[in-house]
Amino acid sequence: MKILAPLRASLEVAGLLEAGAEEFFCGVTPLGWEPRYGNAWTSRRAPQAAGVPDLDDFVRILAGSGGRPVYVTLNAPYYPPGAVEMLVKFAALLLELGASGLIVANLELLLALVAAGHGERLQLSSLATCVNSEAAKFYRDLGISRIVLPRHLTLAEIEALAVEGVELEVFLLNDGCVFEEGLCSTTHAAGPFCLLDGEGTEGVSAETLDRYAFWKWTLSHCGCRTGNGYPLGPCGLCALPRLLKAGIASVKVVGREASLERKQAAVRIAALALALAKEGAGAERISEKVIELRGMSELCRQRHLCYYPDVWPERAAGGTAC
Amino acid sequence: MEYGLFVSEVRELPADPRAACGQWLHLLPPAPLRALYFGSEFCADLLPEPAQAERLCLWAAKEGVEAVLLTPMLHGGALERAERLLQSLDSRGLAPAVLFNDFGLLGLLRHRYPKFRRRAGRLLNRGLRDPRLSQQTAAGDAGRGEAPGRLRSLLAGYGVEAVETDPDLEGRYLGEDSAGMQRVLHFPYTAAATGRNCLIKADGASSGEACFTKGLALPCAGLCRGRCHPVVRPDSAAPLWRAGNTLFYQVSETGAAAQLAQADRVVLYERPAA
Repeated sequence: MKILAPLRASLEVAGLLEAGAEEFFCGVTPLGWEPRYGNAWTSRRAPQAAGVPDLDDFVRILAGSGGRPVYVTLNAPYYPPGAVEMLVKFAALLLELGASGLIVANLELLLALVAAGHGERLQLSSLATCVNSEAAKFYRDLGISRIVLPRHLTLAEIEALAVEGVELEVFLLNDGCVFEEGLCSTTHAAGPFCLLDGEGTEGVSAETLDRYAFWKWTLSHCGCRTGNGYPLGPCGLCALPRLLKAGIASVKVVGREASLERKQAAVRIAALALALAKEGAGAERISEKVIELRGMSELCRQRHLCYYPDVWPERAAGGTAC
Repeated sequence: MEYGLFVSEVRELPADPRAACGQWLHLLPPAPLRALYFGSEFCADLLPEPAQAERLCLWAAKEGVEAVLLTPMLHGGALERAERLLQSLDSRGLAPAVLFNDFGLLGLLRHRYPKFRRRAGRLLNRGLRDPRLSQQTAAGDAGRGEAPGRLRSLLAGYGVEAVETDPDLEGRYLGEDSAGMQRVLHFPYTAAATGRNCLIKADGASSGEACFTKGLALPCAGLCRGRCHPVVRPDSAAPLWRAGNTLFYQVSETGAAAQLAQADRVVLYERPAA
């Protein structure tokens, strides 16, 4: 199991390697994209806030990565007419330059890349929403080498998803999503739609709306806060022993837009937790260590930050309402 | 052109299917009712029980129209539940067309249940549907550009007979011609966002411990059945509703017209339904 770290510039590579990153992912936009396609993005995140500045910097990333895999996101859910053809050419260039693989969500692009012979270098983005083993077989049979699972799966569901011949990657730290990201058809270019969701819904109790607002707050890094410098937000660190046992190939620290300092802290705590899991530590031991470092123990004990709260069935039984 | 109608229980059918969407009558040409749609494209907890599905299939047969079972993304045990439903219908000699949104289910249909005809659901169209932008779509833009041809070819190769969608903001998913596949538009509500962390399920939960992420694997009381909740947002002029785990908005007339013209079948909804 490897720790996959987000990048938005070559200057971040050394710091993230030092923190424990073993793989990288980043977004790059082809030259000439913007004049043709305006506000449409090549990946799910805004190029201005989350993307690598240009192809030259991408080459510097490859040079600095010390042979660690670097994957490129081309995972916008939809593209304007003509864009797929442009991206197929761009994908070939990225792979030629040394990208280890491409993370793709849009089926039209994915099928075009498979037809161009890049199947083995393709990873299915979480936005494609592969949620069961039969779907995993479908994508494997198209030639996909890795599937990034969507966020809102239980550990039991992840464990049941493994099929031979395709790697699985899961979310480990940061950046929650209120809806199923691949099934949210709105655009962040107009601001995250979910920010204003909930309030304004008639016929739902005020108590439920409060719970919803609190849950959304945890998904957005508890209001962009940190605990002792470590990001507070969705977290799957205590689930690492089970994810390791399930054969998950890669665990993803997300947040390409974040500062290097924040990314380093996230990768550092992830690497520490993974090392513990590899030594045989269980969820309880990892939880203790994470709380010792990150603080904010109540957020952990009440499972408020958990990507995979079913790692704590006993806490569910004894839990209290938020 | 023909119509389908979304139903959740056996009831008297209107003489004119367009009665389901009275305010849109001026955009909807007269045409016969050819199909009854039931089930859910958005929530596995809303898959019908076998007895209900059987009732609806028999009713459709009695009315002389096609029965179409809607199915959603099928997380974890939901795929097995969907398969049990197919087994049950199969054992009673019933084979509604199955609209799938999950490629896992498509695999099962191809390999284990070839008797059930296959239709590609609206979640396969990942086109933009943002109510905040719905008024900005220029009427002239809708429908321009090529349909997703590679996906269409893949689906055709897997024996899929129809592609279905609701109106998105670009309007090119159904395409200028059918290319051997029926093109179906679900109307007049568009699903903007959906997911498992259902606000309505949470409203029926006993505590915060059974809500949202913590409640993913917990059973749902189904409070959303037969209900939809108006939603007001300061950033959207389009009328919005929450039905179960899904937010819907009503499509604008300019956006609707071009896409209606591309459809071989229009499935009408009396209200937003997850």
